Amino acid sequence: MKIFIALFIVFFLISAPVSAKDKFLDIQEIESASGIKAWLVEDHSLPIIAVSFSFKNAGSIQNSKEQQGLAQLLSNTMDEGAGDLKSQEFQKALSDNSITLYFNSSRDNFGGKLKTLSRNKDKAFELLKLALNEPRFDAEPVERMRQSNMARIRSSKGDPNWINARIFNDKLYSDHPYAFNSGGTLTTLASLTPEDLKQHHKNWIAQSNLVIGITGDISKTEAVLVLDDVFGNLPKQAKENKIEPVNLINENKNFVFEKDIPQTIITAAMPSLPMDDPDYKALQVMNYIYGGGGFGSKLMEEAREKRGLTYGIYSSLFNPELTNLIKISTSTKNKSVNEMMNIIEAQMAVIKNDKVDKETLKDAQSYITGSLPLSLTSTDKVAGILVSLQLDNRSVTYLDDFINDINAVTRDDIQRVANKVLDPKKMTTIMVGNPENIESKETVSELPNVE
Amino acid sequence: MLLKSFISTFLLTTLILITPAFAKVFNAEEFSLKNGLRVIVIPNNRAPVVTSMIWYKVGAADEPQGLSGMAHYFEHLMFKGTKKLKPGEFSRTVKKLGGNDNAFTGQDFTAYFQTIHVDYLDTVLSMEADRMMNLSVPEEHFKSEKKVVLEERRQRTENDPKGLLGEQLRSALFVNHPYGTPVIGWMDEIEEYEWDDVKTFYDKWYAPNNAVIVISGDVTVKSVRPIVEKHFKKLKPKENISRLRPNVPKAIGNTEMVLEHASIHQPSFQETYIAPSFNQNKDDALALQVLEQILSGGPTTRLYKTLVVEKKNATSVGISFSGTALDYGTITLYGTPKKGLEPEALIKDVHQEIANLRENGVTDKELADAKQQLIDSAVFARDSLSGPAMTIGYGITTGSSLDDIENWPEMIKAITKENVQSVAQKYLDPDAPWLRPAVTGYLYPKKAEAPKEVKEEKE
Repeated sequence: MKIFIALFIVFFLISAPVSAKDKFLDIQEIESASGIKAWLVEDHSLPIIAVSFSFKNAGSIQNSKEQQGLAQLLSNTMDEGAGDLKSQEFQKALSDNSITLYFNSSRDNFGGKLKTLSRNKDKAFELLKLALNEPRFDAEPVERMRQSNMARIRSSKGDPNWINARIFNDKLYSDHPYAFNSGGTLTTLASLTPEDLKQHHKNWIAQSNLVIGITGDISKTEAVLVLDDVFGNLPKQAKENKIEPVNLINENKNFVFEKDIPQTIITAAMPSLPMDDPDYKALQVMNYIYGGGGFGSKLMEEAREKRGLTYGIYSSLFNPELTNLIKISTSTKNKSVNEMMNIIEAQMAVIKNDKVDKETLKDAQSYITGSLPLSLTSTDKVAGILVSLQLDNRSVTYLDDFINDINAVTRDDIQRVANKVLDPKKMTTIMVGNPENIESKETVSELPNVE
Repeated sequence: MLLKSFISTFLLTTLILITPAFAKVFNAEEFSLKNGLRVIVIPNNRAPVVTSMIWYKVGAADEPQGLSGMAHYFEHLMFKGTKKLKPGEFSRTVKKLGGNDNAFTGQDFTAYFQTIHVDYLDTVLSMEADRMMNLSVPEEHFKSEKKVVLEERRQRTENDPKGLLGEQLRSALFVNHPYGTPVIGWMDEIEEYEWDDVKTFYDKWYAPNNAVIVISGDVTVKSVRPIVEKHFKKLKPKENISRLRPNVPKAIGNTEMVLEHASIHQPSFQETYIAPSFNQNKDDALALQVLEQILSGGPTTRLYKTLVVEKKNATSVGISFSGTALDYGTITLYGTPKKGLEPEALIKDVHQEIANLRENGVTDKELADAKQQLIDSAVFARDSLSGPAMTIGYGITTGSSLDDIENWPEMIKAITKENVQSVAQKYLDPDAPWLRPAVTGYLYPKKAEAPKEVKEEKE
């Protein structure tokens, strides 16, 4: 989920305003009588309301090696009965009213989404309030969700992409909590108890680390009341627990998990810049040109369009709370892995040695600035964006400033940031498959944090 | 909640595709050009953007024998240049205008789409009109794109034993019918395409009278019509475009497939029945949608509630009806047994639930709840730019009328308890199958080798 959310943010950040004339989103900063804040975008075109929320640093980062999967199990069980409503009664109340409510846990944060038709809004807010404040954690649903998670792990054990992700976390993050499996292991899941769930809930579901985005068919007056009603009874203060940033390891190493499949799944990563770095906008444009843009990017042109080596190759910026990476992911038949790795390196050299031409820069800027409205087309997408922006500590005018910042990026900036970040010697590579002709490699035979 | 909907990718894809068509909610309007091009417009002015799709009524099921995957491969080639545009220039142009574009191929259609600022609708339609008639692919691109499709097949199917088994299940189910051939094609046949095959395919199927344009977004018929006319009016229709599809013959004898594989660590089953599509039998297909919702519409409905919550025999279980097709639809039962239980035991429990429904029908409350949920889903379906265009294009190219799609909630409202029980009896009775018995697939971990010897050593 973390990767999903992060990719979403990255995608979002490379998408920005068409014109600075109008505000892209009419975001209202609202605050309840008791001081709970949220961002609101009113849109009465459909009878739908969406609420998105996130508790910062309440995700799997707070779980020990022995408690891997706790935050995820919490996300699976908070909607399985609350207050006087047992699991089936709670779920029936949701479906009878066509309400979507679910929780999700990422590596950093714990969050959730509510989506309802306007006519059922009172019921929807009532159920959300119950789930947040009085989850039951009855033995039956906890056990059911535990078994479901364990079946998911067993089902995934043969999936080369999943295997790649397990090894990636282990090799890059070492003994940092980021290395753990946020979905849990077969052993840790078996040991988690309702008491553990209550503890995580009590420690981390609070007002001090909460951000909220509301969109759709709801007025400011009403939204302000909802904030106090739904979130007002949560504890004021979350637990304090500062976790140190990741110390990235295993640079310039290539790890191979041998698996009898015709195509090797490849992920590579290097240290990158934090989002508040003055060069971050230049990095976003550079990444788009190098491999972030899909068709037209250097990697896609060389690997797919010219040579037919892959169905897809992408680079992406990955900025969770405690580390900053640029990732490259692709897959190719075992015989072509070496050629693929050479392309990845050669294209780094190209963008470092030669200034990108004017047209390439201009096209990248016009895509990045032109595609923002494409992400504003559904109620819950907008609610999600409101939460992402707040998690990244952006201001309400961020989207409107973004266009100018992107357009200010120069060819020199691209070259400078490429030289700062792209470095094959700092790259950690994970391969799952039977890659041929790979010279220096370390073989991984055990899957970390799975059993 | 997330885990409850955790099922195989195969099924997820199906589920997305069967998102029902929603009634009068879209308020779509349409017009046609004299050359037969049909245009459907779905006004939605929440943002100054459009999704523009062009759907061709040709898919994998229309390919000549021996050229499996041709429709999909051809879809890739449509990005490889025309007399005016260089290879890749179509997508590059869309991108530099701040838009996204892509395409997809099914058994019954091939669709191309762009999502972009409404000001550039003219540009993308001009390029679509160009590639409908003037495709021109340099030879080196023709060759390299074959390699890309082979990699795509490796990525989607060859790397995944579940994917391979899924293909074989369909192949066994759809005897004598092209739905048994995977859309992406068989590895050997992809390698053998020649340029002449491609040219013949293009010349036969790509024409204004075999296409439907669907545009969703900040537009009206009034704003769209002159743009479409400007670019497409001059294109000539083609004659003799007809789709000849064989029937699946009646068959007897159960088909079971068992795959034991080192990559499988969790046993599971999937059982697929042939059922009517909306195009073949609209009333029965609608009743099957309600049946699906009653059996498997969430954690409080029959299959999950009985087998996962109460009996605790499964970690996941469900039924999925896929009825949006020109020819046949399918009903798939699937399940993951609890640890230690064989999938054969779980499938018996599922059959028992279905038998119960066949014999005793459903309750008034179940029917009312299921219908309300389906009808409400139509409102949520509007909360999207591309979703409505997808639903309409998919429906139209598989034989539905625009009215069918727009009136879907009304038609769902009309379904009765008797309708639901009747389709369960007609299409889900293993002792009296419709057309042919179901095909059942089991996935098993590779059996551990020689456990006996270990025991002996210990002794």
